[in-house]
Amino acid sequence: MSKGLEGNDNRGARELGAEEKVGWDQVTQGVVLHSFVGESENSAFLKPEEREYNDFNSYTATVASWRIVKPVYNRDICIDCQNCWVWCPDTSIISRDKQMLGIDYDHCKGCGVCVEVCPTNPKSLLMFGEAEETETALANWPEKKKKEK
Amino acid sequence: MAKEFELNDVEVWDGNYAASQALRQAQIDVVAAYPITPSTPIVEGYGAYVANGYVDGEFVMVESEHGAMSGCVGAAAAGGRVATATSSQGFALMAEVLYQASGMRLPIVMTVVNRALASPLNVRGDHSDMYLGRDSGWIQIDAFNAQEAYDLALCAFRIGEHKDVRLPVMMHQDGFTTSHKAQNVYPLKDSVAYKFVGDFVPVDDMLDFSRPVTHGAQTEEDWHYEHKAKQHKALMDSRTVIDDVFAEFKEITGREYKRVESYMMEDAEVALVLLGSSVETAVLAAKQLREEEGLKVGVVAPRCFRPFPYDLVREALDVPSLKSVCCLDKSAPGGAMGALFNEVSAAAYSTKARPMMTNYIYGLGGRDFAVDEAKRIMREQKAHADAGHITTDIQQFSGLRGPKLGFFKTRRD
Amino acid sequence: MAITSIKNLKEFSTNNDRFEGAHLLCPGCAHSMIVRELMNCTDDNLVIASNTGCLEVSTAVYPYTSWDTSWIHIGFENAATAASCAESMYKARKKKGTLPDADAPVKFVAFGGDGSTYDIGFQWLSGAMERGHDFTYICLDNENYANTGGQRSSATPVGAHTSTAQAGSTSYGKKQKKKDMVAIMAAHGAPYVAQLAPNKWKSMAKGFQKALETEGPCFINTVSACTTEWKFDPKDTINVTDLATDTLMFPIYEIIDGHELNILYRPKNILKVEDYLGAQGRYRHLFKSENKHIIERIQKDIDEKWEFLQRREEARI
Repeated sequence: MSKGLEGNDNRGARELGAEEKVGWDQVTQGVVLHSFVGESENSAFLKPEEREYNDFNSYTATVASWRIVKPVYNRDICIDCQNCWVWCPDTSIISRDKQMLGIDYDHCKGCGVCVEVCPTNPKSLLMFGEAEETETALANWPEKKKKEK
Repeated sequence: MAKEFELNDVEVWDGNYAASQALRQAQIDVVAAYPITPSTPIVEGYGAYVANGYVDGEFVMVESEHGAMSGCVGAAAAGGRVATATSSQGFALMAEVLYQASGMRLPIVMTVVNRALASPLNVRGDHSDMYLGRDSGWIQIDAFNAQEAYDLALCAFRIGEHKDVRLPVMMHQDGFTTSHKAQNVYPLKDSVAYKFVGDFVPVDDMLDFSRPVTHGAQTEEDWHYEHKAKQHKALMDSRTVIDDVFAEFKEITGREYKRVESYMMEDAEVALVLLGSSVETAVLAAKQLREEEGLKVGVVAPRCFRPFPYDLVREALDVPSLKSVCCLDKSAPGGAMGALFNEVSAAAYSTKARPMMTNYIYGLGGRDFAVDEAKRIMREQKAHADAGHITTDIQQFSGLRGPKLGFFKTRRD
Repeated sequence: MAITSIKNLKEFSTNNDRFEGAHLLCPGCAHSMIVRELMNCTDDNLVIASNTGCLEVSTAVYPYTSWDTSWIHIGFENAATAASCAESMYKARKKKGTLPDADAPVKFVAFGGDGSTYDIGFQWLSGAMERGHDFTYICLDNENYANTGGQRSSATPVGAHTSTAQAGSTSYGKKQKKKDMVAIMAAHGAPYVAQLAPNKWKSMAKGFQKALETEGPCFINTVSACTTEWKFDPKDTINVTDLATDTLMFPIYEIIDGHELNILYRPKNILKVEDYLGAQGRYRHLFKSENKHIIERIQKDIDEKWEFLQRREEARI
């Protein structure tokens, strides 16, 4: 399943702990873990979708099951300030070329920091129950709050 | 480029200086070290080479031995040749990191000058520190004199850095008796020594930015066991590499080393098994007893303490004439039989001869072990052989003042 | 060094993260905010060492790593030694011409929690600072041993409840003052030392870049609000950090070459420390009448420290 611009094909490919448990003869020598397959350029110059992540990279695992509530993103209100990007503890705000594109639900743990730091009125990110449909959430988005005097 | 050090065909070096010359010739990239008696002169000697242009690598004087081994691990993961030296309390302070170095499969060479462990504090030589390292996952090679301290330090790099091994190596010598005793040493020329050691080949190199690598990951119950088993196999399998490196060393120097050295064992009726500088004492005693009293005595000395040469110890003791073997441990056993006794007995158990096995603790804190005492123990073994059973306590103490101390009688019924 | 633009957040956000998700840090943990920001401050290659602690046990549990750069963990106490001696190896190999790419720019960084920085790794850090290696040590200061369930460290402030300095019927929590690690590191004569906070992302980024660009050993203490042990809702990590900086519980400042002190953030409205303490469960007991004097003592300590910092800054010595 290609995640296109938003990420690499193997993003969140399996639950933590669901990886194959190989025998002593197949574990890596010295417990080392290589981040990428083969040789790669400095990843500072590669977007995630341009990287060849190794199965050892936690990028290929998901922690979605940790989440009880999830942030939903409303593009119509967002001003691309990138507050959510800079303070996301789980590298789960997908930003490309100064634009906020959405949330990486494979890695988001639902902490809610992004909602707290969102400066728009109404907020462009709000927390909803994990089961809530995005369309329903967006349809029920609150109106702009008036400043309290 | 580092200057060549002019050497004579024969030099008069003590074990410390011999080891430091070997480190210099190996062109180490990073030495991270902290001084401690009696290995300090190794570090000082190396410092003199650094100060006078004989070394291109970095010399990092850290704030403790724990820091020294930590620095060695960090530097080794960054893909170069690394070494250090220590003794005793410093060795004990490093203990945590010794296990980390081997688990991370980093080929660090450490020249250890064996010394007793406090308390009571003691700067003299015994094997307490060497024994402390025996479960740490390092290869442990034991030099019995200054020449061997030089030769085996060079071999240590070859063995540890071999692609099929990739394990840290300790090269042991006895404090003072070897480290501070000047002897004739035949060194190799710098170029010959370096050619033997070879260029370092990095593996999982932190400075190879095209392959970012994580070192020192955590493993819990799902993975830890497999990693430790793999590490153990590498250590066990290093035996063939050690044999090959010793064979190659013989080709260029004529000096032969084996994982287990055995002397006069072909027809031996009794034997002593021991380590370190006392081996030469025991061999001299055995020769004299053979000449003077016709006693058929042999000596077995594990050159390689880890991986323990179960195979070659068994081979050395699988002599039909062998009746009684005494293992001498130069380390306070702490409520057990000596470690050498336990391990050699295990190997002897699967020989046809199944000799009687006894244990002496000796030489603690630098207590002298002389030819006469070695002879006395050999004669005692002969008495066991003649009686057909162990006539003394199974564990005894050699050279100890006060009432006779011993533990466990043999069961004869 | 290839430092990245921190002109504004939009510019900064064009960096490609090298710290990956699906690590095991708690939801809302400030550690990863700080680590991400450090890694986004430069495009250079990084060799990172971590002490044992929350960051380490959460980002390199076999068979997963969250690091896209070279990374090493040895023990609880020795990340400073690992990073500094990796730097020595870099120098040696550069001189000998054995680096895979001699021109590739690289920075050496060590991370430790406050337990490994202020307590168990103190000696290793001090040694590495004294030796003058070109590396940056960053303390993720959450004021307790959070990885093992919240025991007191020498970075735990007066009055905080921890599992080994508990608040109870006869105790108000930790009795000793927090160790002044920034002053101790400055006293090593380090060329750059700072205390920074992730809510002030720009001053933190500036400080990180200065440290990375400065040759020699640099030390940065960062406040890392701990949702689990400070006991606040994970969503409030930045809110609590705002209170930490705006009450001056965590003043933000730098010390250059061991003496030149610059305050990097002056709150427009300095808040009373009650606002900060009241936002966290670990200080709840201080609001009992018998413990009110502790709050007064904390406020007095803060006021005195702020006065001291301002005078030091003004003195320009």
